[in-house]
Amino acid sequence: MPPQLTRLLIVFAVLASGLVAARHFLLPKTFGESGHYRTAAVEAITKQPVRYAGREACALCHPDIVEIHRKGNHQTVACEVCHGPAAAHVESPSDHQLPAPRERGYCPLCHGYDPSRPTGFPQIEPVAHNPLKPCISCHNPHEPRPPHVPEDCRACHGQIARMKAVSPHVQLACTRCHETPERHKTAPREARPDKPRTREFCGACHAQGASSPKEIPRIDLATHGGRFLCWQCHYPHQPELN
Amino acid sequence: MDPLQEILRQVVGYVYPNEIELHWGLLIVIYPYITGLVAGAFILASLVRVFNVRELQPTYRLSLLTALAYLIVAPLPLLAHLGHPERSYEIFITPNPHSAMAMFGFVYAWYLTVVLLLEIWFDYRKDLVVWSQQPHGWRRWVHRLLTLGVTDISAQSLGFDRSAGRFITIIGIPSAFLLHGYVGFIFGSVKANPWWSSVLIPIVFLFSAIVSGIALMLLFYLLGTLLRSKAVDMACMDKLAMFLFYALVLDFSLEMLDFIHRLYEAEESIHILSLLVSGRLFLSLVILQAFLGTLIPLLILGLISPALRRGGMVNLPDELRRLLYVGSAVLIQIGIFSTRWNVVIGGQLFSKSLRGLTVYKMQLLGMEGLFAAAALLILPLVLLLVLIAMLPPWAEAETHPTGA
Repeated sequence: MPPQLTRLLIVFAVLASGLVAARHFLLPKTFGESGHYRTAAVEAITKQPVRYAGREACALCHPDIVEIHRKGNHQTVACEVCHGPAAAHVESPSDHQLPAPRERGYCPLCHGYDPSRPTGFPQIEPVAHNPLKPCISCHNPHEPRPPHVPEDCRACHGQIARMKAVSPHVQLACTRCHETPERHKTAPREARPDKPRTREFCGACHAQGASSPKEIPRIDLATHGGRFLCWQCHYPHQPELN
Repeated sequence: MDPLQEILRQVVGYVYPNEIELHWGLLIVIYPYITGLVAGAFILASLVRVFNVRELQPTYRLSLLTALAYLIVAPLPLLAHLGHPERSYEIFITPNPHSAMAMFGFVYAWYLTVVLLLEIWFDYRKDLVVWSQQPHGWRRWVHRLLTLGVTDISAQSLGFDRSAGRFITIIGIPSAFLLHGYVGFIFGSVKANPWWSSVLIPIVFLFSAIVSGIALMLLFYLLGTLLRSKAVDMACMDKLAMFLFYALVLDFSLEMLDFIHRLYEAEESIHILSLLVSGRLFLSLVILQAFLGTLIPLLILGLISPALRRGGMVNLPDELRRLLYVGSAVLIQIGIFSTRWNVVIGGQLFSKSLRGLTVYKMQLLGMEGLFAAAALLILPLVLLLVLIAMLPPWAEAETHPTGA
């Protein structure tokens, strides 16, 4: 074997054994026993103190509140989301009282206006919505309902309302396009508003021969857009300007 | 002003909250750029070694040293971006074959130790032995260490070096493809992102790597020759320009294929992508990458290099031709850097909702900032100067011991 090859093999053997030795000393003892992680980590995690009790534990002593909560809009929000970890309270109820958030800062964590929240999710602007009044003075957090029927669409569809407010359609009332049953305000998901179903609906303002102000963009309904409804291409809450 | 507020003012349409600020910034742009230069420089070296392109011999050693200098810097942007370099050894200690990112450590280690260092060692071994026997100078101690104690430079031994070097280069070509193809693979396999998720991305990356590597070597060769006040070998320059043209044609065709395929397929993302290209990326993609970085160099190289006709379509004096080659190579570097920018930054500028665009706010200071990135781009040049000082790649430095 040529001497340079022998020397290289020695160098590589030293490197490889260095890696094996390093692996021996650096690899955590239980790594890889049950997957690509340190098995002992599971044990270490299970040894951590249990802090949450679960809503079943709450039901044992507070059945009346749990019963109300179970039917309300907050049914998917567990008790400990608002009241904090309850394991210690379950162990010794009088020694460990659970807090109930009463200040205004808490509810807007979920209900403060944020454009990325789904439309229809109850959102308010904390600065403008009954300033200084604690939320619980009007809303029961165990069975949250608006104290009165929403007055207009903005109360629930804030994102669309904000968009429309700066769009060319600002002058149009929501009900001009959406036929809305009165019951939608009290049972929003059972009675849904309608959407325009024909091209002629938009054509009332935008068709060539429409008797609307002349600044409004016109199209030829016969040739423009084929068989599609207008709102399948144009977003009516923020229509493009050109 | 709070950076988030500043970005929010430029957000257009609907963007999910976690997409407003980009997670992969400038450092992740220079990472594929640098690895591309490594792969490109190595492929150029292999043209000499495996495909016996004799005209390119003056660039052979310089290409290898350039590849090494850039390869040493290649993982640094990643380490700086992740922020915990002290944990990086763990990917070697607990290898995870299911993670393409984790496997990079092994691809890198293979390429560095088995391909590049070995090829350089075998190529320089004779010179190392001769230099280590110089009576003066501190470098001889380094050279002596680098010989690994083997001083045999008999004709038979040197013959073994040559065939070993050739064998390693043959392994090196697929390895270089693997190294840079891997970088494209990482982006190409992000299936949630329509800008990245394409099976063509690894191949496009590879050819753009070859283009950038050849262009860089053209610049380095010319710079190295002029700084040493030597005559520029125009046959070598012409050959470099010729291969640069061929690589650029392939790269451009693949990118156009990708582009036309996207247009024809017209998936639901096409609207937001066309907004992206005609708006946020217009300067970096249409102007810098396509026009200045590809079309202009294609035109120049096509006309004056001997790629299409011996002597070039337009016959120009050497000095002017050289100047235009340099201009094209610089434009190509700008173009390829823009390509990396458009892939990495462009892919994060549009929302997964396909309904909005955000902006990239580059930092100046800090680990992810402009200065850190500039330092990482300068570092390989410093390393290359050190390597050139230790292992001169020039023809006049080569030793011709008696009997060899």
